[in-house]
Amino acid sequence: MSAAPTPLAPRPDALTRPFWEACRHGRLEASSCADCGHLFLPPGPCCPRCWSPRLTVRALSGNGRVWSFVIYRRTYHPAIPAPYVVALVELDEGPRLISNVVGCAPEEVAIDMPVRVRFEEALGITLPRFEPLGGGGRP
Amino acid sequence: MSRRAVIAGVGHTAFGKFPDRTAWDLEAAAAAAAVADAGLRPADVDGLLTDPGAVQGVLDGITPHFLRLGSQLGLDPTYTGSEILGGAGSVAIVERAALAVEAGLCEACLCVYGDRALSGAGAYGYGRGDEAAFGFFGAAGLHALAARRHMHRYGTRPEHLGEVAIAARAYAARVPHAQKRSVLDMDEYLASDPIVEPLRRLDCCLVSDGAAAVLVTTAERAADAPRPAIPILGHAQAHSLSTYASPDHFDALPAGRCGPAALGRAGLTPADVDVALLYDCFTIVVLLQLEAYGFCKKGESGPFVEGGRIGPGGSLPVNTSGGLLAEGYGGGMLHVIEAVRQLRGDAGDRQVADAEVALVSGHGLGMNTHATLVLGS
Repeated sequence: MSAAPTPLAPRPDALTRPFWEACRHGRLEASSCADCGHLFLPPGPCCPRCWSPRLTVRALSGNGRVWSFVIYRRTYHPAIPAPYVVALVELDEGPRLISNVVGCAPEEVAIDMPVRVRFEEALGITLPRFEPLGGGGRP
Repeated sequence: MSRRAVIAGVGHTAFGKFPDRTAWDLEAAAAAAAVADAGLRPADVDGLLTDPGAVQGVLDGITPHFLRLGSQLGLDPTYTGSEILGGAGSVAIVERAALAVEAGLCEACLCVYGDRALSGAGAYGYGRGDEAAFGFFGAAGLHALAARRHMHRYGTRPEHLGEVAIAARAYAARVPHAQKRSVLDMDEYLASDPIVEPLRRLDCCLVSDGAAAVLVTTAERAADAPRPAIPILGHAQAHSLSTYASPDHFDALPAGRCGPAALGRAGLTPADVDVALLYDCFTIVVLLQLEAYGFCKKGESGPFVEGGRIGPGGSLPVNTSGGLLAEGYGGGMLHVIEAVRQLRGDAGDRQVADAEVALVSGHGLGMNTHATLVLGS
C-alpha cells in the first residue's frame, strides 16, 4: 500500500484528445452516436450500445448530481494530498464520470447533491471538477 | 461417471511477509504440495493454468506468467495459460481446468496463484488511467463508492461491515496458518483508521506474500487418490465490463448472474449451500454477494449479518478460514482450498458440521469480473 509512483496526468490519445481539448476551452462534451443518439463517456471507438462508428460530440450543460462519493483520508500520492472527495457524478444528460467535488468541505458532500462543472488547471491539463450548485463556490 | 472434474489435491505456502523469498519459489512450493496431496508425480501434470497476483500480473507484462512458471517446473503441458481477471482469476482458472479435463484437453491440470505483494513493489495503490488525475487510487476507492451507495440506499451501517471483519478474524483465530490470528471486537473495528471513507483500514483485506495451488483431474483418475477428491458440481462466470455506464454497477454484482448459473448446473439452490467462501477484498463485497447470491434479499445484507450469522456457529458460515481479511491474500485460491478442506472434513475446530455443498466466488478489477464454483463432497 505504499504510494507508488503512479503517472498522474491524463495521457490523451486519438480517442480522448477531443474531450480534453474541450475541457481546455471550458466545455464539457460527451460522445454522441449519430445512428442511435446514445450519449456516452468516456469516448471510445464506437457507440457502446449499437457499435456504430459514426460518432459526434455534444456539449453538456455541466450540471449533474453526486451518484456516490468517497473521502480519501489517506494520501496515495504526494501530489494529491488527503483529504479530498472523489465522486461518481451523473450528468443531467445521462453520462457519468469520476471526478472531484471541490468548493466545499468533504463532510458537506452528499449523495444526490446537485453539482456543476468547474474547470481547474492541474497536472498540466484542464480537469473537469465539480462544485455544489447554488452553494459553496469557494474559490 | 465419465470425465467429471474433481479437485484431487490442494497445497499452499504460509502467508505473510517473506522478503527473502521470490513469488516463483513460493509458487513452486505450493504446486509441489498440491500435486503430492493428489498422490501424483510432477510428470503426471499435463495442464498448467496460473493466476498471477497483482504485482506480477500488472507490472511484469513481458514474459507470460505461465511460461516462466512452467519453465521453472519443467512442464510441457497440453494445455496452459494465465488469466488476468483480477480477484476472479483463481476461481476462473479452476473453472477452466474443469472444462479442460472434462473435454479431454488434459488429465491433470495444476492451477497456481502466487504473489509477493507485501515484500514487492506495492501494486494496490495504482491509479486508473485518466482517473488517477482525480486521485482515484486503488481498489479501495471503487469499493468505497459501492459501500456509500449501499448505506445511502438501504441504511447499511458501519457496524454491518464490522460484522464481516469480526467474523473473518474469529475464524482465522482457529486457523494455524492465518496471517491475522487475533480476534477483533466492534469497538476496535469502529476505531480503525478511515482509509477511503466510508471504508476503514479493517474493511480492507490483507496484503501478503504467498502461493496456493490446486490440482484438477477427472474423478476416474482420482479414484485411487490418497485424499477424498472433491467434485466440481457447477461453475460459471459473469462480468460487468460496461462499468459506470451500467446504472447499477456498484449495487448489483455480476454474481447475481453467476450464482444461479453455477448452482443451476449443479441442480442446487442457495439454501443447499452449507458453507460459502466469498471473495472478500473489502467487507462491503461480502454483503453485496450475500444479496447477489440470494442468501438474503436485496438491500438486507446488513441486518442479515447481525448477531454473528456468518461467523463461527452462525447459520451461514462464510469464509471459515478468515478469507482475504484475515487468513491472507491468496487471490481466491485459498478460498477454493478452504472449500475442499470443509468438504473433506479437514477443517479442524472450524469444521462446519455435515458440510456437503460449498460455494466459492472470485470478484475482481473494478467490480467487473466474477466467477463461481460449486463444490460437493
